[in-house]
Order: sequence, then C-alpha cells, then structure tokens
Amino acid sequence: MRAALLISLFAASLRAATFYVTVAGLGGDPDYEKTFRAWAADIDKSLRAADPSAQIATLSGPTATKARLQETLSSLARQCKPDDRLVVMLIGHGSFDGLEYKMNLPGPDLTATDLAAWLNRIPAQRQLIVNMTSSSGASLPALARPGRIVITATRNGNEKNATVFPRYWLDALRDPTADTDKNDALSALEAFRYAQDKTTRFYETEKRLATEHSQLQDSGRGEAVAKPSPESGQGLAASQFTLLARNAGDARSSDPARAALLKRKQDLENRIDALKYRKAALPENEYRSQLAALLVELAKTQAELDK
Amino acid sequence: MTPLRLLAAALCLAAAAPAATLDDCRTLRRHGRLAGARECFAGLASSSEPSLAAEGEWGLERYQQANDLFRAAVARHPGSAELRVRWGRLLLDRFNPSDASALFEEALQRDPNNADACVGLALVAAAAFDPHAVELARKAVSLDPKLVEARELLASLLLEDGDSAGAAQAADQALAISPDALDALAVHASIDWLKADLLNSIPPSPWIDRLLGINSVYGQGYAVAAHFFVLNRRYAEGIRLYEKAIALDPRLWSAHSQLGINLMRIGRDEEARAQLELSYTNGLRDNETVNSLRLLDSLKSFVTAQDGGASLVLDPKESDLLRPYFALIANRAMRAYEAKYGFKLNSSVRVEVYPNHEDFAVRTTGMPGLGALGVTFGTVVAMDSPSGRPPGQFHWASTLWHEMSHVYVLTETHHLVPRWFTEGLAVYEESIASPGWGDRLAPDDIAAIRGKKLLPVAELDRGFLRPEYPAQVAVSYFEAGQICEFIATRWSYSKLVAMIPPFGQRMATPDVIRTVLGIEPAEFDRRFLSWLSERTAAPVAHFDDWKKGVREMAALLAAHSYDAAIARGLAIRDFYSDYVETDSVYEMLATAYLAKADKPAAIAQLEAYARIGGRSPATLKQLATLEEEAGHPEKAIDALDRLNYIYPEDEDLHRRLGSLYLARADSPSAIREFQALLALHPLDQAGSHYELARALQQAHRSSEARDQVLLALEAAPDFKPAQKLLLELTH
Repeated sequence: MRAALLISLFAASLRAATFYVTVAGLGGDPDYEKTFRAWAADIDKSLRAADPSAQIATLSGPTATKARLQETLSSLARQCKPDDRLVVMLIGHGSFDGLEYKMNLPGPDLTATDLAAWLNRIPAQRQLIVNMTSSSGASLPALARPGRIVITATRNGNEKNATVFPRYWLDALRDPTADTDKNDALSALEAFRYAQDKTTRFYETEKRLATEHSQLQDSGRGEAVAKPSPESGQGLAASQFTLLARNAGDARSSDPARAALLKRKQDLENRIDALKYRKAALPENEYRSQLAALLVELAKTQAELDK
Repeated sequence: MTPLRLLAAALCLAAAAPAATLDDCRTLRRHGRLAGARECFAGLASSSEPSLAAEGEWGLERYQQANDLFRAAVARHPGSAELRVRWGRLLLDRFNPSDASALFEEALQRDPNNADACVGLALVAAAAFDPHAVELARKAVSLDPKLVEARELLASLLLEDGDSAGAAQAADQALAISPDALDALAVHASIDWLKADLLNSIPPSPWIDRLLGINSVYGQGYAVAAHFFVLNRRYAEGIRLYEKAIALDPRLWSAHSQLGINLMRIGRDEEARAQLELSYTNGLRDNETVNSLRLLDSLKSFVTAQDGGASLVLDPKESDLLRPYFALIANRAMRAYEAKYGFKLNSSVRVEVYPNHEDFAVRTTGMPGLGALGVTFGTVVAMDSPSGRPPGQFHWASTLWHEMSHVYVLTETHHLVPRWFTEGLAVYEESIASPGWGDRLAPDDIAAIRGKKLLPVAELDRGFLRPEYPAQVAVSYFEAGQICEFIATRWSYSKLVAMIPPFGQRMATPDVIRTVLGIEPAEFDRRFLSWLSERTAAPVAHFDDWKKGVREMAALLAAHSYDAAIARGLAIRDFYSDYVETDSVYEMLATAYLAKADKPAAIAQLEAYARIGGRSPATLKQLATLEEEAGHPEKAIDALDRLNYIYPEDEDLHRRLGSLYLARADSPSAIREFQALLALHPLDQAGSHYELARALQQAHRSSEARDQVLLALEAAPDFKPAQKLLLELTH
C-alpha cells in the first residue's frame, strides 16, 4: 500500500525531477531486519526533509518483493522523462554464487540482471544505483552502462559479510559536513567519499579486518575504483550528480545587472579552478597570493548577488 | 639394549678409542677451555651414533645438523626419554619452547621420574614467568637430589621471586654437589650485588672470583646477575653487567641481545640497534631480538617533539593530533609530582606513544607484571596510543599520569622501590588526579576479596611477578592502590610520600611500615582488610544479586517494560555502583528514562556514569547532546572534554567541543579543538578550516584567521559563510 501511494506521487510530477527508490531486503534475523528497515526509513525521512516535494518510493519489510520492485520501476519507465534523474538505493544481504549476484528479498530474490533490465527501460538519462548489500561488487558488471553511476559497498562478490556502508551513506544525507564544497548540494561523489571514509574509519577504530571495500564506476566503461579521480577516469559524472539539494539557487537571471554578476562569478570560479590546476607548477607564495585575490573577488561578487 | 645403555656404550667405546666423551667436552667448556671444547665436540660430531653426533654438532653450534641427528636418534630409539629431553633442550636453546615442551612431556610419558624432563619443563615455565616453574624445579630436585642444574634453576627462580635466603640455600646445595656449579656461584654473586649500588662500578665479589677461577671467560655469570637487575627494573646496572658479560665472552649473543633490549628501554636506540643487529647476524633470532629490531625500525619514522619537560615520540600519522594533549598532561603531571614528592628530575621524560599495540608489547617483553597499557623505564615511558585500542577501552591520560608517578618514584629510589608500592602509589595518584580517572572496583577484585585471595603487604610483589591465578596481576594493582589509599586516609598523604626515601635506602617493606607508619605489618594487614571490607561491603555481599538484576533489567528493557526496568535498575544500581563498563545500570536506566521522555532523569544517570569513570564515547556524547538540549553547555563541554583524554581520534568530538568553546568565547580551547579536528584530516576541509578561522578571529589573530579562511575557500570557493568572513578579515 505504501509503495502504491508513493508511486502515485510519481504520477503527480510533471516537471523534470529526481525519483528515489530505496529497497531494504530481508534481514534473516530480527536484528538485521530491524536495522535494514530503520536505515531505509531514515533515508526516506532524510530525503523528504531535504525536499518535501521529492518523489520517493521506499520498499521494506513484506512489501520489498521482487514483483513490487519491478512494478515500481515499470511505473517509472512509463513516467520518467530523459531529463529526470533516478536514484536507486539497495540495502540488505546480497550473495554471489560465482555466476550471478542476488539480493535477498521476501519471495524470489532479485538478480543483478533483472534489475539492469528494468533500469534500462527507464528513460532517465542520469541514473545513480547505490547497491549497499554484501557481495554487491558482483552486481556492477550487469549494472554498468554509460549515463549510469554505480556505487557498490563491496569490491566483488566475495566480500560476503554484512556491510556498514549503508549506515554512513545515510549519515551523508543528514550530515551537512558531507557537502564538502559547501554549495548546498550533496553530490553522489561527496556522499560516496563520506560513506567510504566513515566505513574505513569504522574498521580501523574497531580494530577489525575490513570486510568491505566500496567502489564507484560512473563512466560506463573501465574498472570501478575505490578512489575516483581524473587519473582513474571515474568520478566526474558522480561529482555532477546532485543527490540531495539544500536551498539550491537559480544560476540564471533575466536581470542584466544580476546576469553580469553571475557571469563574473562563473568567470572567477573558472579562474580559481584553473589556478588550482596549475598549483604544482607555481611557487607557493605566488599561488597563495593569486588565489587570495581571486577568492576575495569572488566573495565580493557573491556579496553583491546576495544584496 | 636401552638407548641410555647404548649411549653409555658409545661413550665407553669412544673412551676406549681413546676419544673424548661428552662429559669431557662439557668439562672443557665449563672450565673455559673453549678451543679444546670445540675440538672435543668435533670428535663427537664424527660419531656414527646419531645421539652422540647430535651432541657434537650442538656443541659446534651447528644446530640444524644437531636437530636432524636427534630426530634420527629418536626414530632409532622411540622409547627413549633421555633422547627426547636432549632434543627438547636443543629446541629450547633455539627459541622453540612449544616443541621443546612437547618433547619433555613425551619423555615424562615414557619415564615419569625423569628429572631432566622436569628441568626442561621448568625452564619453559620460567621463561614465561609461569608460577609452576618453581614447583617443577622442586619436583626435579626431589626426583634426583644430585641434579645440580635443577638446584641452580631453583636458586634462580627463588631469587626472581625475591627470596634471597631460599636462593642462597639452593645455590649452596648445588655447590655442595658440584663445587664448579657456575650458575650457583652467579646466583650468590647476584644476591650480594642486588644489595649494592652498581651504577658507578661493579663491586668485587668473592663468588665471582671463584667463578672466574673455574672459568675465566664465563660471561654468562654476569648475564645471570644482569637478568635479576633488569627484573628489579635496575636497567642501568643491568646494562653494566651485560657489558661485563660481553667483555668476558664476546660470543655470548644472548647477552648482546639483552644489552640491546635494555639500552632501547632507556632510550639509547642507536647503541641498542648495534647490539641487536650483532646478535641477529650471529644467529640469535628469537622473538625478543627480532621484534626489538622491528620496533627500532618503526621508531625511525616517529616524530620527536620537545614540549616543556617532556620529549614526545609520536607516530607521524597522529603527532599533530596528540601532541597538544600529551604535552598538557605530561607537563601537568611533572609539575604535580615535583611538588608532591619534593623531587626534581635531572632530565626530560621521553614519552613514546604507539598506535600499534604490538610495538608497545615489545617494550614489555621478558618483563613480568608490567602494565598492559603503559610501562616506565626510568625516565622513558612507553604506552599505547588511544588509537591502539578500540574507543573507550582505556583512559590514556590516566595511564600517562600513572606512568609519570613511576618516573619520579623509580628515579628517586634508584629503582629500589618494591613493585607493590610504586604501582599502588601510581594507581592512587590516578584516582585523585581528576574525577573519573583511575581504575574502579572490577569483578575480579570482588572475587579476590570474597575468596580471601589478597596478599599480605609484605608479599604483595609476588602477585605482580609470579601470579598464581590469571587475574592476580590486575588484582594486585587494585590491592596496592587500595593500600596506598588506606595509608593516605588513615595516616596522611604525606606519610605515603614519606615511605619513598626509605625504600630508596633499601629498607624492606615490613621495616618501612614499622618505621614510617609505626605499626607492625601484620597489624597493618588486619586494619587494611577491615577498612577494605567496610568500603566494599555492598558489592561483595550483593554481587550475585546485582548480576541477576542486570540480566533481568536488560530483559525488561528489551520487552519495552520501562517502568519495571527503572524500578529494577534503581533497586540494584548501588549494590555495585562502581560498575560503568558495557551495559552498566546507569546506561540502561538512561535508556529507560529516555523511552519515557524523562530527559532530566536520564541526564542524572549519565552524569553519575561519567563521574564514576564511564568511558564509552557513544554514551558520553549522548550525555553531551542531552546537556546541550537542556541548555547546559558547560556540562556538555565537561562530558565531551572527558573524551579528549579517552579517545581523541574523533572528528565529531572536536567539531562539537570547538563550537561549544567558541560559543562561550573560550578561543584558546576552541582553537585547540579545531586544530585537532584538522589533524584528523577530515573530508570536510572547508568547514574545518572555516571553524578554526572563526576561533582565531575571536582570539584577534586576524592574519592566521585569514590564512585559514582562504584554505577553507580553496577547498570550497562558494562557501558563503567563509566568503563573508574573508571579507570581514580583508577589510
């Protein structure tokens, strides 16, 4: 019933939007069951808190069946437009038998191949799939394609222990410090780095052998990587994918004066990026001096815009 | 023919041949005629009898060949107990106590009265400071009263336990059987030397003269004595004796290794490395040597920072974070102890902090009864880093405070203070340093009180050195701490401090008790136990009820029966009010009160938890949150600041604490916290630099504030609050 109601919310949307689908699979024991449901509920809550008009479907407990997920994604396939964005988050126990990744759901399990087939029918050209289950690394080959960012909590199917990555992915949605560039928007890359960092620290702090190593692939080709960077060829799309926006402003304006300020701001930002790119080639003092001057100008410009 | 007879026959044949016997070879070696001994062992090595050839190869230090030959000999004579004992001794000699032990056990299965096998097991136990060592040595003596080695071993073990009279008697018995029992002579010399001061020179000893008369190159005699000095934490004197041992016998690699380990303990790392490498390259590759060399390699990358009187040696990965806090506590402790004990150190204190517990563990290798978290060697303190343990498992500042007490007491008494007193005083100092510091009454302590297992004060050192049950070392720390608290309470703190100098003058515990406290030791013990019994009456009487109540309370909580859980918790909490470990009653009561939305009651429970010394970071942070919500920022600061001394590796802690300090305009503290935050390399670089910039601005350090805000904006150019601050600072 809850899923059906949420799907109807999808139907109400007529403009370009972001659709969120969260699935919490079977726990296997009461503790995991409770934890998975709580994480899914908290993700749901965080998304709604950030954007009350967000289009969200959360499947957990008995409703989180393969059929219900197929139904939800089929609905999206009918309603989504190419400009829309899709975020799918999977929480629970996954497995890999050497051939096929499966997520443990009430009734038949979900395979990576099933999921990929359903996602491929959705017209949204920007998709983010965050598979946070155990063995989730094994789902990546089936899910990867151009235009889709795939994040997995494990680097392969052999990391079979229950994961803590989803706990920190959820924290990323709630913790303002996850927005490291302070632009009031949490990108997929920021959330990934936050959750990965906290997961690593969790194992270090608890003096436990790390049994999960998250990875990201967003180019649709090549290997997934643990540390996305220009050198690895992964991470650009994730950095441009807004997972959660807080107080996002309009970068366009019809007011010529304001438009000029916005243009100047963009120009300064580009010059700062260029300067940072050349940092290694410049003497430290020169770099710092030029950077300070540009940052002061940018701050002044922003102050003008905020008047 | 039995293997023993076979061996005897082989030896007789050899004698008839007229080649030397094994006894001849050993006699030559015992008398220091080493070239002759080598020639003799070479003769044995060419024997066609594997057991004899094995002894020859062993004597020539060709250990692998000796091992192979013993294996062949045992295969040829599977029923032989003697061969297994000899093979086991070879393995023990080559750092394999577990296989050696198995061979000694096999020997005893074949011959339950084999005294040599008992000696072998006693040696294995002795190396591990297992209390059964003495028992096994005594058994060997009873099985073969003429076995000199068993009596020498017994003498050594008794001296390790501080029983000089017993050790002297056992050594005399060994010498009565064999006047050239070299190690018995060395034990006698050690007994005399332990009463003397060897810091400037080694006094003459008739026992050593006699020993050198038998074997002029027997460096092991000095090494035996050195071992006892190290056990008594008299490292500098131990080093002097090891140096003398090596001077006599430059090929005594075990002494080179021990010299290296003890040089490392007092911070002479380069000399230590030279000795350890020398022994390693000459085949001495036991765990102590190898691990010590690895530790020296690790230390090479450590950062050394001089802060006041403390020289902090920190892992570069955490030096920026830990340095301010460690410097603060170390220097505060030095000022406090200087005033309390009226004693000033002549040098700075080196504090080594290890994030890898295994590195720290190398520091305590071969030393029984030392702290599991920190250890002091004169003016060198080695300890675990807070990051070396899961959060909340130990209070690093309390540990450092404890070790710093040792630095003063050990230095002032030239390491002559008994273990129980220095540990007891340090434990007591922790408990009075700050609320929540120090150890609390543990279930093992309660069990020891109930089982009447506490030792008389005059014998308390035994509980540290050769524990008779697994928890006895920890219980001995507790008892020693309580004794010091008893003295401070019933007499005065100044009386406690007045006990230090007499210990430095070699006065024994009973005499110090009589002289300083004016009471007989037996009466002291009686009064102490009465005092302790009174203050631990509730937990001792109700421990079982408390345990049952905790289980019931947990079940009630799980069933959401909060009122019943609260009633049960309040009924049992004070049965054992010191318990603030996992699932304490305080935490469970707070959970129940929060479920009923009664925050003030939850806060009261958690405040009590913190005051008593609860150390769970999650619980203390929860308390801080509740205090903030209740409008008590000062109490929130108090809760969070406790964590700085428990587990400072926490971004959230420093971020929250920094903000609270900033809000109350305590900019120096806020700056320290935000600097700690940045030292943890947070992902949120922009936010962290910005917060530090705000704190610096509040402290009117505008230039530094501008630098920080520029760093924030470098990471996030569009960070509006930082832009605003930059403009303020630029104007």
